[in-house]
Amino acid sequence: MHELSLVKSIIDLLADHAEKNGWHRVSRVTLRIGRMRQVIPDVMKFSFSVAAEGTALEGAELEIIELPLAGRCRACGYAWEEELFSCPKCGSSDSEITHGMELDIDSVEVEDQDAPKDKHSPICNGGR
Amino acid sequence: MPRRISIRQSVMAADEKIANRLRRDLKDRGILMVNLIGSPGAGKTTLLESTLAGTDLRSAVIEGDIATSRDAERIARTGTQAVQINTHGGCHLEAHLVEKALEELALDKVDIVFIENVGNLVCPAEFDLGEDYKVAVCSLPEGPDKPLKYPHLFCEAGAVLLTKIDLNKHIPFDRELFWGDVSRLNPNAKKIEISATAGDGMQEWKALLSRWLGEKR
Repeated sequence: MHELSLVKSIIDLLADHAEKNGWHRVSRVTLRIGRMRQVIPDVMKFSFSVAAEGTALEGAELEIIELPLAGRCRACGYAWEEELFSCPKCGSSDSEITHGMELDIDSVEVEDQDAPKDKHSPICNGGR
Repeated sequence: MPRRISIRQSVMAADEKIANRLRRDLKDRGILMVNLIGSPGAGKTTLLESTLAGTDLRSAVIEGDIATSRDAERIARTGTQAVQINTHGGCHLEAHLVEKALEELALDKVDIVFIENVGNLVCPAEFDLGEDYKVAVCSLPEGPDKPLKYPHLFCEAGAVLLTKIDLNKHIPFDRELFWGDVSRLNPNAKKIEISATAGDGMQEWKALLSRWLGEKR
């Protein structure tokens, strides 16, 4: 259930980027999410589609790159890419998680502001 | 034509900024903040009531619940100032909510701020509230298999408290499995067995809080 608040943060953050950089529309958002973050991709996508309505991200496709858990033993240096919390080689539990905690916006695809359709639009109406 | 733009920014950036600011502010004021996380019914409020009774440490409590102010009322009866945050369906607290709650507390004469998070073993582990330590509260009747089923919380916790150990005379509990899994997930977590009603482990828990406070000052 924390997906919705994550999605709200993503939309706030990117809507801010969109406004500052004049992005017309965001068509795709790519996230990198580690396994340990306990995020359910389908719930995330659904929450995103609902929460993006009425923003520059409305209709954008959400792509989630899931990153597996990876760890490294501080005692013997052995590294693994499995859901393990102690070293399979020397048995030490003094290990660190090297991947699996990511929760990042990797990139976006944007369409830039359309050229003004109305040639009389007040791009510059000074001097009157 | 769409163009691709690299963002490479944490989803939590905005909230993490608030959390880091809170941690800095509290450090300047010499206040320790502890975030208690556990299932509904794990005994978090009872643990707090016992912790607040008979301690020299001056405390304040932020209570997080989906609804009602029952927990804040229980804490207020101990004579400790308490603020209730109602998340209205939200399954966890976030730093901006804690920031507002802190503004409502008189912190001039406070040593420790306890946050009792919304009862849940999953989502609260994900959110930095600006605390110095997360504390996992797991009660004996929940069963010994919880650490591996909810690894993130136990990985993040500065201490793991096994509560309601007085119930062990009625309910079997595989301590070796429980503490073995906790140690594998997080060898650095302080491990304490507690009965908040009978008093077991309470001295050790209070001593840990004093140590953490001393390290912060």
